[in-house]
Amino acid sequence: MRSAWLVVAGLTVLTVLSVGFAVTVGEDLDRGAVLHVLRYHFTLSSGPPPDPTADRIVWLLRMPRAALAFVVGGGLAIIGAAMQALVRNPLAEPYILGISSGASAGASLFYLGFLPPVLSKTLSMPLAAFCGGLLSITLVYLVARGSTRLSVARLLLAGVAMAALMGSVTSFITFSSPDPDKLRAVLFWLLGSMHHATWSLLPLPAIVTLAGLVTLMSLARSLDAMLLGDEAAHSLGVSVEALKRLLIIVAALVTGTLVAASGAIGFVGLIIPHAVRSFAGVTHRRLLPACFFAGALFLLWADLAARALLPSQELPVGIITALCGVPFFLVLLRRSTYDFG
Amino acid sequence: MVTAPHLSAWSACQIVFAQLLLAVLCGCTQPDADKPLIPVRDDLQREVRVPVSPDRVLSLAPSLTEIIYAAGAGHKVVGVTTADDYPAVVLSLPRFSALPVNFEAVAALEPDLILASDQINSPQDAATLAAIGLPVYFVGVRTLDDMLKSIRTVGYLLGTSPAANRTADSLEASLAALADRTAAVQIRPSTLFLVGDATLYAFGKGSYMHSMIALAGGKSVTRDHNMASPVLTDEYVLTRKPEVIIGSFGMDHSSETLLEHHRTWDLVPAIVQGRVYSVPGDYFLRPGPRLVTGAWMLVALLHPDLVPSP
Repeated sequence: MRSAWLVVAGLTVLTVLSVGFAVTVGEDLDRGAVLHVLRYHFTLSSGPPPDPTADRIVWLLRMPRAALAFVVGGGLAIIGAAMQALVRNPLAEPYILGISSGASAGASLFYLGFLPPVLSKTLSMPLAAFCGGLLSITLVYLVARGSTRLSVARLLLAGVAMAALMGSVTSFITFSSPDPDKLRAVLFWLLGSMHHATWSLLPLPAIVTLAGLVTLMSLARSLDAMLLGDEAAHSLGVSVEALKRLLIIVAALVTGTLVAASGAIGFVGLIIPHAVRSFAGVTHRRLLPACFFAGALFLLWADLAARALLPSQELPVGIITALCGVPFFLVLLRRSTYDFG
Repeated sequence: MVTAPHLSAWSACQIVFAQLLLAVLCGCTQPDADKPLIPVRDDLQREVRVPVSPDRVLSLAPSLTEIIYAAGAGHKVVGVTTADDYPAVVLSLPRFSALPVNFEAVAALEPDLILASDQINSPQDAATLAAIGLPVYFVGVRTLDDMLKSIRTVGYLLGTSPAANRTADSLEASLAALADRTAAVQIRPSTLFLVGDATLYAFGKGSYMHSMIALAGGKSVTRDHNMASPVLTDEYVLTRKPEVIIGSFGMDHSSETLLEHHRTWDLVPAIVQGRVYSVPGDYFLRPGPRLVTGAWMLVALLHPDLVPSP
């Protein structure tokens, strides 16, 4: 029990340090000015107000950005772990059921003006992305659903097929778009970026992710049983089919919300659960919180790297997650005696 | 072709067939035999054999079409890309898609020479076109001087040098007059030129945009940005504090629209003072002769007192 508290304390310190570091990276700002802004806001606006430009940069741009990266990274990582348990396949990730490609198709349809005006007036781009993702996973689910049970193989294949279909929709839309400015904006969004993070954007992804984490934690024992196979899980008293449906719903809601907030950021949901399993073990009661923090910190640092690598220039963070994450992951795969499930 | 006397009937057949095939494939598009080809080196340092004073020319980029017309060779243009719209006369010409290149449509227009932009077109496309007997000359325009030079070069290639030199001279004179007019300007506002309002595409180091702004009596904010075509961050703009923001934002644009996309910019001097202007993008984004007009548009925005109002 004491070691658990130590881990929690350690993670908290690490998070605070990472966020602290994240808000100092970017355009050259005096370290003192950054501290001044933080002190001012954390002491509830007491003392002399900070320099307004530094205030906007640190408090309105860098802080929400770090917070969004934290939430998105954590959310994608726990959903990745859950999906890997659901389909019992190490290749599973949050996007395997076509959510991200559906969301991308929805977003490009909306942004490039291919939706009928009635629809485009009521939707916003995040909402269009969310709807696209939900539509895609619903179709996948309907295809995979049998009379009595949900076939995992069909789920995976339908997911891959749907991803390809939605991918071609996105390609066609971007290819035939007449407006180069909007096209660039959509391509930028498709690669995933935190650059439009604001405080007001943050609560929804944070709440949905937290709810997802709590739900998955309450299912931790059932998820452990799922790794043994449907029949074994059934004989352990898990209502397998209900669990599968619940997992798909949680995955759809969390992933859909996160993709709508930040675009489809790849690899976090695939590599973090595997990396974490190699030191936290496979029991979900430990794996899920560990995944959350590992994913959150990983994406926070990836976004930080994206900003530090090319200062004064937005670089889609999806490029960094693959660039830095994958070699690390390959080394990990090679070195450990890691075995899935 | 020299035929060896001991050639078997079969290989003779093969040669005849190959010649036929060649004639079918590219006979119709090969430059006239009586037009001699001369080797030249284009802006990508490729060696190209081009016909002397070709009659049928085709451009793969809107900026090059404008340069050809400026060089006095507009009557030789046989087709333009679907993105072309200037000068207005090109709207009645045959059109083809340039991204990706519709090779069949290009071949069907039977050009003697094709002009390509090194910023838009790929040398691979040129290789495909060369393989069907169509020479491609790449033009690169990075600076205003490059633009003037490209008009003279295109005039030389198309055999309209006198007209091309006249246009280039007058554009040069116009730029010199602009420089004269702003030479004594004391206050040179820091100016940010943006290509879009939501995603902040901008001109980085080495771009002609900075000379245009300097000629118009301003200081380009992104002139020493380390990337050639960066996507700026919000905080970059916040720390640089531009006094004027100009962009190709579309017709009904204002400071408010920019603020909607970038809520933290309420302190940026350009927005505080309402000095956010939208300009027609073609005069700034197409590296062609209309950049000169664009530079005069800039001076009207940066120093309205220096230009008589229309």
